[in-house]
Amino acid sequence: RMNRKKGDKGFESPRPYKFTTHQVVCINNINFQRKSVVGYVELTIFPTVANLNRIKLNSKQCRIYRVRINDLEAAFIYNDPTLEVCHHDSKQRNLNYFSNAYAAAVSAVDPDAGNGELCIKVPSELWKHVDELKVLKVHINFSLDQPKGGLHFVVPNMEGSMAERGAHVFSCGYQNSTRFWFPCVDSYSELCTWKLEYTVDAAMVAVSNGDLVETVYTHDMRKKTFHYMLTIPTAASNISLAIGPFEILVDPYMHEVTHFCLPQLLPLLKHTTSYLHEVFEFYEEILTCRYPYSCFKTVFIDEAYVEVAAYASMSIFSTNLLHSAMIIDETPLTRRCLAQALAQQFFGCFISRMSWSDEWVLKGISGYIYGLWMKKTFGVNEYRHWIKQELDQIVAYELKTGGVLLHPIFGGGKEKDNPASHLHFSIKHPHTLSWEYYTMFQCKAHLVMRLIENRISMEFMLQVFNKLLSLASTASSQKFQSHMWSQMLVSTSGFLKSISNVSGKDIQPLIKQWVDQSGVVKFYGSFAFNRKRNVLELEIKQDYTSPGTQKYVGPLKVTVQELDGSFNHTLQIEENSLKHDIPCHSKSRRNKKKKIPLMNGEEVDMDLSAMDADSPLLWIRIDPDMSVLRKVEFEQSDFMWQYQLRYERDVVAQEEAILALEKFPTPASRLALTDILEQEQCFYRVRMLACFCLAKIANSMVSTWTGPPAMKSLFTRMFCCKTCPNIVKTNNFMNFQSYFLQKTMPVAMALLRDVHNLCPKEVLMFILDLIKYNDNRKNKFSDNYYRAELIDALANSVTPAVSVNNEVRTLDNLNPDVRLILEEITRFLNMEKLLPSYRHTITVSCLKAIRVLQKNGHVPSDPALFKSYAEYGHFIDVRIAALEAVVDYTK
Amino acid sequence: GNKHASTPADNYYLARRRTLQVVVSSLLTEAGFESAEKAAVETLTEMLQSYISEIGRSAKSYCEHTARTQPTLSDIMVTLVEMGFNVETLPAYAKRSQRMVITAPPVTNQPVTPKALTAGQNKPHPSHIPGHFPEFPDPHTYIKTPTYREPVSDYQVLREKAASQRRDVERALTRFMAKTGETQSLFKDDVSTFPLIAARPFTVPYLTALLPSELEMQQMEETDSSEQDDQTDTENLPLHMSTDDSGPEKENASVLQQNTSLSGSRNGEENVIDNPYLRPVKKPKIRRKK
Repeated sequence: RMNRKKGDKGFESPRPYKFTTHQVVCINNINFQRKSVVGYVELTIFPTVANLNRIKLNSKQCRIYRVRINDLEAAFIYNDPTLEVCHHDSKQRNLNYFSNAYAAAVSAVDPDAGNGELCIKVPSELWKHVDELKVLKVHINFSLDQPKGGLHFVVPNMEGSMAERGAHVFSCGYQNSTRFWFPCVDSYSELCTWKLEYTVDAAMVAVSNGDLVETVYTHDMRKKTFHYMLTIPTAASNISLAIGPFEILVDPYMHEVTHFCLPQLLPLLKHTTSYLHEVFEFYEEILTCRYPYSCFKTVFIDEAYVEVAAYASMSIFSTNLLHSAMIIDETPLTRRCLAQALAQQFFGCFISRMSWSDEWVLKGISGYIYGLWMKKTFGVNEYRHWIKQELDQIVAYELKTGGVLLHPIFGGGKEKDNPASHLHFSIKHPHTLSWEYYTMFQCKAHLVMRLIENRISMEFMLQVFNKLLSLASTASSQKFQSHMWSQMLVSTSGFLKSISNVSGKDIQPLIKQWVDQSGVVKFYGSFAFNRKRNVLELEIKQDYTSPGTQKYVGPLKVTVQELDGSFNHTLQIEENSLKHDIPCHSKSRRNKKKKIPLMNGEEVDMDLSAMDADSPLLWIRIDPDMSVLRKVEFEQSDFMWQYQLRYERDVVAQEEAILALEKFPTPASRLALTDILEQEQCFYRVRMLACFCLAKIANSMVSTWTGPPAMKSLFTRMFCCKTCPNIVKTNNFMNFQSYFLQKTMPVAMALLRDVHNLCPKEVLMFILDLIKYNDNRKNKFSDNYYRAELIDALANSVTPAVSVNNEVRTLDNLNPDVRLILEEITRFLNMEKLLPSYRHTITVSCLKAIRVLQKNGHVPSDPALFKSYAEYGHFIDVRIAALEAVVDYTK
Repeated sequence: GNKHASTPADNYYLARRRTLQVVVSSLLTEAGFESAEKAAVETLTEMLQSYISEIGRSAKSYCEHTARTQPTLSDIMVTLVEMGFNVETLPAYAKRSQRMVITAPPVTNQPVTPKALTAGQNKPHPSHIPGHFPEFPDPHTYIKTPTYREPVSDYQVLREKAASQRRDVERALTRFMAKTGETQSLFKDDVSTFPLIAARPFTVPYLTALLPSELEMQQMEETDSSEQDDQTDTENLPLHMSTDDSGPEKENASVLQQNTSLSGSRNGEENVIDNPYLRPVKKPKIRRKK
């Protein structure tokens, strides 16, 4: 029973006992050949009630040999109801029935409700002992054979010892899944200290949580035992393990940080982790708090379950994040993964959660501070672009599925009270969620943290985090006082209380809107300018009846760019008022040639001839700071979007303008987009987006388009030789903005279509020439992504084959353009076998292109090729591309 | 090597060798042997020949060391001493009574080394060079023939050539690989027009996917040492320069840029690292007897 009240002081365990000192996990045999593990655990527990006669623990797929309590044999029952969710004889076979049964099964073993798969009877000899509330030592011997989850073995099929083969094993899983590899209370709220021991082959390294105290050979000197101590109280769900013949790299900047990778990858590891210390410095500085653990370990392993998994004092990463200094595109992605992992060390590992419904606080804070790191590292533009991207994603998901609820409160367990009845799964447990829902949940959590920041300021926000951390670190140094340890668990109410204490502000309405209920806001805006009154008449409607929406009442910021400057207005959105009159500051007369002041204080010259002569309005933005989780559909004239694109300095506004301009295929839009494309000061992502918009506009304007195909002369000017414009310069990717543009432009150009709806021959030849003259010999960076995108461009140029009487596709009737494309794809794909590219990006693009050719009827539609690339043993990206192609046959 | 017709040079060397063999045989007789295996005689002959050759080579060196071209008696003496031979015993040995006299080897003419092909007229000495100096060598050994590069406007031709050359090599190579190995095809009726080398799974797929290829490694070393050699490719200059004018929007990418080049520039301080993973593995404790 969860007897938690609002504003509760401490955390009340659902169990009739507590952990006192530590838990011992000892794995003394690991067999890679058989994929099996043998070991024991020893839990020291402390009864909190008399007459405790049963102890429930979590354990999945482990074979329990023997249980002893205080050296006395104890009987036990093992029952995992999730193994057979629906009974064979059940008549009902529908998703709803399954979902309910599954939720019930998960509940039945939920540690947060005091349940577990393993039920141990306290021997009667000990009852008196228990009644005196004396300590019990529960010793469980277990083994694990061919685990299906929780612990993943990677054993390459080749000659040599396991170490020579690079065989390794690591713990993995979604949420609390430690019970998959050893019996425990698999809850984020049950903290204890740990002693961890792993005996492994002498050529292997065992990496686990806490401090490596010592490594000792076994008597035959063929194995060694790694002894770890974790003195910071930690939940079992945050315990992890990785064993393999790892290469070891001590971080040159922080000697207490150690990195591990698989054999031969050390040079990549060195480069990849060379940046990590800066992330450490950043977080420690903003949180004004030392990293809580005495050491940190990163392990890069193959066949990772997720790219990043954070555990107490260590993180497990996919080996595919490693890269050399020659790789551009992967670098920021990997750094983001490292930063994410580190943020979760503070919030998620060190500070854990009281219950599942408090998860949003942890994900929110770690996501939020990760966002601050993004802003500092990649700049405000990248940050705002990312926030907009996340916002668009959560809005689209909520509108599609009906909503994401951050802080669900469950009533008496009746289905009627289900706060998320619109979903096909229960949100009561992390294990009943869909993966996509959980991803979106995390996204919403950090966006809501940002909304809180908007309300109380970043300074207060960081003070709150610091308070949580310092309370936790004081608590963590206390010994054997589990009621103090609950300070290391965050709860929604505790967090909100801390916010109100620190900031003195009431954020309850905000929490009610975004945390306690699901849904996003959908605004429709339009306006008219009343010349007589010199007033902007803004109409803002809401759709709050569609699934996934909610009604918004409260302040809404509107920014109006007028001739005399940019002005912010805060409107009060109320139930029945749709119209808002906003007085304008400028007169529409504009005889004087005056510079126009922008929001950021800049003053610019504008060509105002496109404007409506009667109106002083240049452009209008609704909720420019993204202070509401919303979607805005706003109507303004094409010239206003063009002004917004050209002169508004916020990248989000620029991107919105580009998307809006798709609907206005006019020479003026074309010019605005081309100008943006050429402007080097402009954020590169905006320029990339402009490429695709320009292609769409060009296609809509195809009958009146004059001059060479869109972007061609621009590309030539930027990237081709001055003396022979048909030849691209030899690659030099030192300027990353140019590099990204160089990659993107051909891809967008290939989407151009002529009046017959074919890709213009000129464009195809242009792309083929780029491939032909591509020369990377003098480049400091690899061109694998660039070449892959040139293949993507070839694929984009393909249009449906003109089929006469359903003729069979053979070589004889192959379209000559397609023949040229196939020639390139064949060569690229074959060269990959001899000189494989990083992450086989080129193979991936080739496979995608072949599927496009098949789908458009140029090549016989045969999945055999994809099936062979989908096999185990190909690089994961290649397999995914091949599987996607195979799945595409069903579409 | 007697199988092919012998040349005058071969004959010359054979005759000398035969004489040496006779010398060895007579010395053996002198030492009291009545017969010897052929292999033994051959070996001794070989040793003798090497010894004499060494005397010659060494004497030549001593003589050239003192800037002469003809060896003198003292050169030979020094050589013999150097080789550990007691020179004083030589006169007595030469005059020993039981020595056998061997007939001089048949006179065969030293083979004439064929004259190098003369190309053109040797240059006569200019007046300031005394006549006893050697003649100039053949003109072809020192004359340089300047070849003029095509006009520079042919950047295009060069690029064209490089591109088509690479393409040809790649095509030929992949076609060869496809011909000699297993292939896959996009068209059931035709396996040769677009032959695809069959996809073969790897035992350790991440290694090939992550590690730079040898070609790239080589390239990395080259570009690292020359830090993107701009001189050779003037076409790149304008692009390169544009990296410097960083507006506020550009900060993000340049941060990345700096950091990628940051690695590898630090060293030292490695002697004081105390990291538990670097500590030696302990020996097991000896179990106490129960």
